[in-house]
Amino acid sequence: MTRQNDEPDAHVVLAYRDVHKQFGDFVALAGVSMEVRKTEVVCLIGPSGSGKSTLLRCTNGLESIDGGEITLDGQVLPRHGRGMRAVRQRMGMVFQNFELFPHMTALANVASGPLTVLRLPRGEAEARASALLAKVGLADKAASYPSNLSGGQQQRVAIARALAMQPEVMLFDEPTSALDPETIGEVLNVMKALAEEGMTMLVVTHEMSFARRVADHVVVFERGTIIEQGPPAQIFDAPLVPRTRDFLSHLGWEG
Amino acid sequence: MSLDFSPILQSWQFLLGGLGLTLGLAALTVLCSLVLGGAIGLARCYGPAWLRLPLVFYIDSMRSVPVLVVLVWTYFALPIVTGAVLPPFWAGLIALTAQIAAYMAEIVRAGVESVRPGQTRAALALGMSRAQAVRQVVLPQAVVRMLPAFGSILSIAIKDTAIASVIAVPEYLNRSQTLAGESFRPIEVYLTAMAVYFITLFPVTRTVDIAYARLAHLGRS
Repeated sequence: MTRQNDEPDAHVVLAYRDVHKQFGDFVALAGVSMEVRKTEVVCLIGPSGSGKSTLLRCTNGLESIDGGEITLDGQVLPRHGRGMRAVRQRMGMVFQNFELFPHMTALANVASGPLTVLRLPRGEAEARASALLAKVGLADKAASYPSNLSGGQQQRVAIARALAMQPEVMLFDEPTSALDPETIGEVLNVMKALAEEGMTMLVVTHEMSFARRVADHVVVFERGTIIEQGPPAQIFDAPLVPRTRDFLSHLGWEG
Repeated sequence: MSLDFSPILQSWQFLLGGLGLTLGLAALTVLCSLVLGGAIGLARCYGPAWLRLPLVFYIDSMRSVPVLVVLVWTYFALPIVTGAVLPPFWAGLIALTAQIAAYMAEIVRAGVESVRPGQTRAALALGMSRAQAVRQVVLPQAVVRMLPAFGSILSIAIKDTAIASVIAVPEYLNRSQTLAGESFRPIEVYLTAMAVYFITLFPVTRTVDIAYARLAHLGRS
């Protein structure tokens, strides 16, 4: 298995070892093991309900795991409680439904983490927020409320909000699934630029062309397990597992 | 039949004093219910599990018992049980608060629960504590969403103060009864009462509705 960042001492940011998660009788994750290395973009693909989003939520403790362990920079993550809060500050998360705070302007949304969590002075937090809004191309929307922004703009603000905590790794949970087709591109471009800057990213996505072009490593999920993982060239052009090919052909992927 | 409003004009200060008491009692009731009902509503959403049963019992019993019964119990029965005699105004305040707070608690709970769980997740994902997420993300949206129901409870609180007239709190309706008896002009006196309550309440409900129309987008996640 070739991997762009393949040196044995390549810094592993996130490591999953035999992670299990169950919701009642439903097994969401049945022993998942994988790694995310520094500056890598790892895309998680697979059918709905296969455990991709659950893995993201377990990563920053929005869901607790029932077995196995997850490490960040070599440290085992606490299952819950106070320690989890400190860990969350080191990971940015972007949601399918944006989840911008509707009672705050775009600027206040982006500044909310630095203000509330890092307790930066207002001026400093807003300066950081302005710079990030400019970075996602929305400097002119600082004073707008989410209800006056398009889906693509809202998701770009949400990315800026996550970046404002200066995370070591960004988690994207189907960031373009709720978007109109014409605004998907602007969000993917922001993500691509972020990847090129060297941000470590873990992306759950149904955008196969994005995964093909931007990912360093692609992980295919099915029913709570990883059925195949490897570089995009392998997954998309020469999958080793027939079910990967089935999944991709269901999506209309033809290489 | 000819209407004669002169007794009302002659006693306008007497009635105005009653209206002052009505508004004072209403304002205190709303304030106390807001604090008590808010606390109960939040405790039902975020409090420990053992607390929920007694709170639900309180809310359900207050919603099933007429405010008049609660008032009579507070004023007449409580002194028999505890030996403490309450002045009518305070008995009225306690009874009205006990009732209105139960409805307020349900409004607060419904408002909080209507905010998508994803909003809390987003706040937690930023590293906020649960308390910070509630204060900075959930409550501001919930308050906006509560406004229409809050407008209703506000007008109900003002109207329900009239029930305190049965324990001789000299609020507006009680004074109207006095004046109607003295002047033998009940029709004019109660027509005036109707107009006074309407003129007082109409702007209240309108104002809340207008405020909601302007703020609604802040609560839409």
